[in-house]
Amino acid sequence: MTENRYSLDGSIRIEERSEGLLAVCFDAMASPCELLLPVRHRSEAIELGTAVANEAWRVERKFSRYRKDSVVSVIHRSRGSRIVVDEETASLIDFAQHCFAISDGMFDITSGVLRAAWHFDRSDRLPPQADIDRLLPLVGFQKLQWHRPVLVLPPGMELDFGGCGKEYAVDRAYEQLAALHSEPFLVNFGGDLRANRAPPSGTWKIGIERPDTICEASMLLELEQGALATSGDSHRYVMRNGIRYGHILNPRTGWPVMGAARSITVAASSCVEAGLLSTMGLLKGGEAEHFLGEAGVQHWINR
Amino acid sequence: MRGSDMSLRLCLPLLICAAALLPGCTSLGVKPWERDVLARPDMQLDSDPLDAAIDDHLYFSKEASSGGRSFAGGGCGCN
Amino acid sequence: MQLKRGLPPGAALRQQLMAASCALLSSAGARAQAPDSAPFLNGLLDNLSVDSAVAYYHEDGRIQAVEPIVNVAKTFANGDALDVNFTFDSLSGSSPNGALPSHSAQTFSSPSGKPGHGYTTAPGQLPVDPNYEDNRVALSASWTMPVTRVTDVTVGAKVSGEDDFVSFTLSASLAHDFNEKNTTVSGGVYNEFDSLKPIGGTPDPGSDYALADKTGNRTKDGVGILLGVTQVMTRTWLSEFNVSVDRFHGYLNDPYKFTSILDASGATTGYQYESRPDQRLRKSGYWENRVAWDALSTALSLRYMSDDWAVHSVTAQLRVRWNLPGEQSYIEPSVRWYRQTAADFYMPWIVESTQPDSPYESSDSRLDAFHAFTYGIKYAHRIGPLGPLASSEFNVRVEYYQQKYQNPNTNLPDLQGLDLYPELKAVLVQFGWRY
Repeated sequence: MTENRYSLDGSIRIEERSEGLLAVCFDAMASPCELLLPVRHRSEAIELGTAVANEAWRVERKFSRYRKDSVVSVIHRSRGSRIVVDEETASLIDFAQHCFAISDGMFDITSGVLRAAWHFDRSDRLPPQADIDRLLPLVGFQKLQWHRPVLVLPPGMELDFGGCGKEYAVDRAYEQLAALHSEPFLVNFGGDLRANRAPPSGTWKIGIERPDTICEASMLLELEQGALATSGDSHRYVMRNGIRYGHILNPRTGWPVMGAARSITVAASSCVEAGLLSTMGLLKGGEAEHFLGEAGVQHWINR
Repeated sequence: MRGSDMSLRLCLPLLICAAALLPGCTSLGVKPWERDVLARPDMQLDSDPLDAAIDDHLYFSKEASSGGRSFAGGGCGCN
Repeated sequence: MQLKRGLPPGAALRQQLMAASCALLSSAGARAQAPDSAPFLNGLLDNLSVDSAVAYYHEDGRIQAVEPIVNVAKTFANGDALDVNFTFDSLSGSSPNGALPSHSAQTFSSPSGKPGHGYTTAPGQLPVDPNYEDNRVALSASWTMPVTRVTDVTVGAKVSGEDDFVSFTLSASLAHDFNEKNTTVSGGVYNEFDSLKPIGGTPDPGSDYALADKTGNRTKDGVGILLGVTQVMTRTWLSEFNVSVDRFHGYLNDPYKFTSILDASGATTGYQYESRPDQRLRKSGYWENRVAWDALSTALSLRYMSDDWAVHSVTAQLRVRWNLPGEQSYIEPSVRWYRQTAADFYMPWIVESTQPDSPYESSDSRLDAFHAFTYGIKYAHRIGPLGPLASSEFNVRVEYYQQKYQNPNTNLPDLQGLDLYPELKAVLVQFGWRY
């Protein structure tokens, strides 16, 4: 039986939004996605929305671990033999390698295997340490051999681009659209977004949801242009003896990072940059404020 | 008839063995992260359905037995 | 972008991150693929697999056949799966008619009974109808629906049509996983309806060949049940055990086969059409094991079958797949051993003066006692992108099949010096492509 969480039926719909905006909406990467445009560009909306949706689906098809035909699945089936990856995948692995280095190993795209031990279903079940001990040898970016474009992934290890995949898709879709359309637009994939210019009303109004009440937006941000990314663990956690174990795992111990914020939103010039900073903020646990303050980016931390 | 005696003598013990093994099945098996080898295409029970179909058709038309792994019906007039 | 000197760690990190992000987006942007212009086509190809093959079958001096098959399977977003199969097979050549070789030439009429379409068998040769020809088209489809996260229901239908035979089968089965998907129990039933329209009409069982009194069509139907357990034994060993029972009822004879009637010294005096019971009950047990060792994997299966015609059989098959280094190809040798006992009404000939033990008789060699060997080898090679397809596989398979009979010698004088049970030898060559 396939575990298929996404609706890839390819449907795109248009909705009216307040402040004279149109939204072209579709589903991708397990999130509601949209392209926002001023209503005066209605005639181009479908064409531009289709371009954005196609790019989102292309990235998802290519890097999703749930699809048998994705690059990631092909890599996982290589079982320790040399595999030559294409330019785009090579660039993403290079990027992941940089992030691994500059985060001192905390951002690690090989840590996905740890999810087999953790079930973040808001129950109080913690995994046995033995299960984590069995998985830890399979985690560690330094264990794979990467000499662009040749990758050797030891058997049992996995690559998981989920940590930067959605933000990367936003940036890719943004670039394609920016080449076609110089009027204002905003691309938003489930809260990771990027806008090229200010809309007619002056600013894009972004609601960042409050972690513990799913529906009510707590913060209203006003964005002229640039990218925003939000990382958080409000929905997936284990609660035991009053201690909350969020789903951001420390790849070195296999356990959740303690004291992580509920959600962190970061503004930067690109979505991957914003996404990496917000993820690293979570990985810093209680040090998030200090870390992001030093980084000199606009950020919002909810605890 | 001779045939049915033989079949009863052999099938019944086989069924009893299988039923006796069933409770033991709960202690066998692997954890979800140990399914890497089992996920290999050559470890799927239906790894080569066309080979099986062609062979099944050949043996159905040349022998008196069919089925076992799947339904025994022939669906063709070759026997 | 503000550049500061003597940066604190966080700011330095951010600089490095900006540089890394720029590198990612500019390089990926420059060389990424063009946007999909055909989202629907890609949607169709998602979770779709196509498996196709053409098999050429050739028996030494007898039948040859060509059988192309295409199978298309698609899994949908909600977990439903559709499997459609199209099979065509075309047979031609010489088919044994059930009569015995003789020291005299034997003349037979064609099944259709038309004058001028008969054939003569030379002395000492196995009587075969040299004009045997049949074309078959079959279409089947099955639909699988997940009922719960651990239970699937499958329903299927199959229809097959040939010049003289039409078959329609319905099936339904259920599979349930438990024990962290380490154990699966399944059960299925099928019902088959067959209609025979033999060329030239259907002979009554046991009727005289020379009278050529053949009329009408006949039917038979079957119902069967299959129960199975699949168990993950270890990380590298999977085991499946099935039991099944089938019952067929109706006209179970081969309408083209007849048996030689001999006089007391063994000379052929006539023929009569075979006469099988109108019911057959079969039981079988099947056990398959898949075990992997690094690049090798093996499939070993055993089947035991017995029925109320007194046929029981044992089948053992072993396939060893060797995945060649580079993970692009494999070689798979295989061997199969099969042994069956004769039906209790199997009679290679009838001696006219003797009293029959049973009202049933057939000289169809497929109901005789024999053992058979198959030796095979398969090679498959995976190739890279082909149009919209990420990867696909070409394969070729060759099998050699041989049946050996072990019937006792006879002391009937007119049967001496005849090869009464010629061995069947056949070769199968198959080419396939799958995606």
